[in-house]
This record gives sequence, C-alpha cells and structure tokens, in this order.
Amino acid sequence: MKESEYQKPLPTISSLNRPYWEGLKRRELRLQKCDGCGLTWYPPAPLCPGCWSRKFTWTRLSGHGRISSWVVFHQAYFRSYEGDIPYNVVEVELDEGPRVLANLLGANADIRCGMPVEIVFDDVTEELTLARFKTRPSR
Amino acid sequence: MANFDLKDRAAIAGVGNSQYGRRLMRSPIDLAADAIAGALDDCGLTRDELDGMIVSFGSPIGADGDSVAQLLGLKLRTCNQTWAHGRFTASCITWAAMLVNAGLADAVACLASVSFSSVRRPMMGGSGDREGAREAGGGHGEDPVYGMTSPGAGAALVARRYFDRYGCDSRALASVPVAFRRHAAMNPAAIMRESIDVEAHQRSRYVCEPLHLLDYCLINDGAACAIVTTSERARDLKKPPVYIGGMQGLPGGREEFIWAYPGLGVAQQSVFEYEAGQQRVYQMAGVTPAEVDALFTYDAFSIVAWIALERFGFCKPGEAAGFTQDGRIEIGGELPMNTNGGLLSEAHIMGWNHQVEIVRQLRGECGARQVKDAEVIQWANAYGDSLIYHK
Repeated sequence: MKESEYQKPLPTISSLNRPYWEGLKRRELRLQKCDGCGLTWYPPAPLCPGCWSRKFTWTRLSGHGRISSWVVFHQAYFRSYEGDIPYNVVEVELDEGPRVLANLLGANADIRCGMPVEIVFDDVTEELTLARFKTRPSR
Repeated sequence: MANFDLKDRAAIAGVGNSQYGRRLMRSPIDLAADAIAGALDDCGLTRDELDGMIVSFGSPIGADGDSVAQLLGLKLRTCNQTWAHGRFTASCITWAAMLVNAGLADAVACLASVSFSSVRRPMMGGSGDREGAREAGGGHGEDPVYGMTSPGAGAALVARRYFDRYGCDSRALASVPVAFRRHAAMNPAAIMRESIDVEAHQRSRYVCEPLHLLDYCLINDGAACAIVTTSERARDLKKPPVYIGGMQGLPGGREEFIWAYPGLGVAQQSVFEYEAGQQRVYQMAGVTPAEVDALFTYDAFSIVAWIALERFGFCKPGEAAGFTQDGRIEIGGELPMNTNGGLLSEAHIMGWNHQVEIVRQLRGECGARQVKDAEVIQWANAYGDSLIYHK
C-alpha cells in the first residue's frame, strides 16, 4: 500500500527516533544501548537516561518479551479503526527491559499478563513497518 | 527548611463557578466571566483589586488568560498559564501562593474554563487529540500508530496491571463511581445525579476494556475559579480564609506514569512494592493521613482514586479495592472522598470544581453533603502532587 492510501495514524518521526523506524523497515528491532552502563531504553532519547553518557549504540534486540498489561478498545476514536473494533493494544516488556506498546495478533480473549510474545514485522505501507507481536510458546 | 516557608502563608479567599452542563452553548470566556465574578463576590474583592491570573488548561477547549483579561477589562500584573492538560491544579495554587508571598501580585485568580461542546473535532482521543503526536508520545501513554489513544486508555492499562498484580476486578472498582454518584445526588450543581449501583456499572458498555463507561468522567462545559491571596490579607476579607498548609509538586521522570504510582510497572516504571513513606505535603502541613477529614482527587477515571489512596498512604498497595467498599469513602464514612461528585459525576472542570467544594466544605457551606466538623482537607492525586487545606 502506498503511504497516501494508508488511513491510520502515522508515527511522528524525529531526529531521535528515525533509526528505530529505519530498523523496523529492515525487519530489525533496534533500540539505543549505552556503551557505558549497558542500559537499553525506550523511547529514543538524546543520551542515556541512566548515566547521561552520549556514547550509545543502536543495538538489535531479540524481539522477545512478555505482556505486562493490555487493553481492548470497544470505541472507535479514529474512523480508520472502525473496522477493527474491538482491537487490542498490549504493553510488552521486552527481554532487554524497555516496554513498548503494540498490537497482539490473535484473539483478544486469549490475552493474559505475563504471556510470552515475539515480534512480527508488519509492512503496512511501502514506507512504514510496524512492530506487532504474536504469542511465543514458553519453554 | 527553605527560607521561603509557605506553610499557612497563603489562603483561598474566594471561590466561584459557572453552571456546569453537557452542552451549555456558551463560550469558555463567557463561562469564565461567571466564575471570576462569583469568586470576587465571594471574597468581596473588586475587579481592580485582582492583579494576577493563572489559567489551568487553555485553548482551544478552554479560555486563555490573555483573552479573558482583555474581554473582562482586567488589569493584571502577572498572567500565567499551563498547557492544555488537566493535571496542574495543585501547581497553579502553589504558584499563586508563591506570587502573593513574593509580592509579585496581591490577589491571583486561578481559573479553568472549558467548553468541550464547542470544539468540532473530539480532542480526548482520535484525530483531534494532540497528545499522541507529542514527541515521545502522549502523557497518558498515547501511541496512535497502534490505535492507542485517549487519556482513558492509559488508565485502562493501569487498571489491568493493577487487577492482575493484586487479584481484583472491575466489580470492586464500581465502589468508586457508585460512591461519587451518591454525593452528586446531594449536589444540585452536579450534572449526573441519577442513582447507580454495581450492576449498572457492570452493564455499562466497555469504552477501553477493562474500564466501563461509568469508570469514565464527564466531558462537559463549565468554569471554576479560586482566588489566592496572602493569609494576612485574606483575614480582612468577607469570608474566613481557607489556609494552604502543605504543598507538594508534580513529580516527573522515568518512574512516573500519570495514572500510576512508582513501582506499578507501567510504561518505563520499575517494578517494586511501593511505599507511601513520609511525604513533603504532610511534613509541611504537620498533618498525618489519619488527621485528614476528607480527601479530594482528580478522578478522571475510577481506578485513579485507588491509586491516589495508596500513593498517599491511606492504605497499602492492593488494599484500595477493599478500602473503598461499604461506604468508607462516602459522606459519613471514615474518609469521605470527592463530596461534590467528582469529575465522574459533578463535572470535569480540571479539578477546579473540587477546589471550590473543598473551600465550601471547610467553611461549612455544603448543606446536605456537609462533612461534619471538617477541619483538614487534602487534595492528592495519582500523579503525585498534593495540597493540604485547613480552616
């Protein structure tokens, strides 16, 4: 789909978060990791919010995590989401620490806190790839 | 202690409000005029004696301070304003207390005036909501790329997390909107006065699950104003001063999420067992939670009343679900909360209707819903700020 045809909200891309979105496009979940203290953080920031070092590396993450909380929208605030009601939004605590919001593929009735999940790269337009998640069998 | 001790140095001398309603068909500045004139009349100050204003929540839903001053012919020495977000009530009162004690103003009107019905595009979630477009996302966790929008969705995320962590559910949460509705039934100014019970709460539709419609506050029109001056000045005015004994600012940082106390594990918060501890607002006022006669909180969503109770040590994490049952937070109970009916049932005037009610309670003006012998009343919020008022 061309971006001009995509009706849902687009991300606000800035100098800080551009590498994140470029990473998703390449099917890589990348976040900043501090070269000094080792903290991995989200959302993207100008420096390490832990130790204030400006030396960090955009590091590829496992894409694995667990659901820490979740909601189901029964009201369509966006016209472009009317067809998706009821849709979920899950908060995923990534194995590397940060939490991100996303959608879980599959039935809303099956969602539980603590459920292990893994990333699914969803090319919603020629330009934009979103990070969604699916359940991951626990070992 | 700071060399600029504000304990009991500032007071609310007068309060006023407009009519509250779903669709009043009146502009925010029109409504503001009622609230400001009411507050001036309440304390006996003239328009020319008002020389400061702090507006909480401005355009496009609310009235901006500069426009209000212009249209009402005010002559202000200092006119300040927050951005259009609701959590700045205690901050505005604190700044006003500082201004009058620093000699930068004599009497400061703190004002919120909103007309949600006058904006064309819905602004609490959806395409007109500017929150989600902020750099790094919205203040309530908005992330519209994944359909995450509206302040209530952030509260729903907190509710689910809380339910899962402490093993309770939506049925227990009904105690909050049911109690506040009982208060609203005794308040002729309240918009929602029809009785509700747990079953009605459970039957009301989901908006953002696990929150039902009756977990959500109103979206409405109205204005409220509180005039702050020095305690010394207030004692010479028409009505007894309501003193500001303690204050505590709005915290920020990675351990904070607007609807959760630190440690709950929402957004980038760490996970640990939160302890209320000794907080500045209590130290400053010389008061303990046990001495608080009534508690008011920014009840945009029912769950945040639980969070506020636990954040300020009225009960331990996970205990609010039990604490709010059996009338304990109702008038006549151990700790009456939001006796005006709150944002959930009186009106959503960004917490300023609560300040009006606190002042009237401490003056004994509340009639059927008067809290007997109310001497100390606290304003305390899920997001961590607080004021302690006393007679």
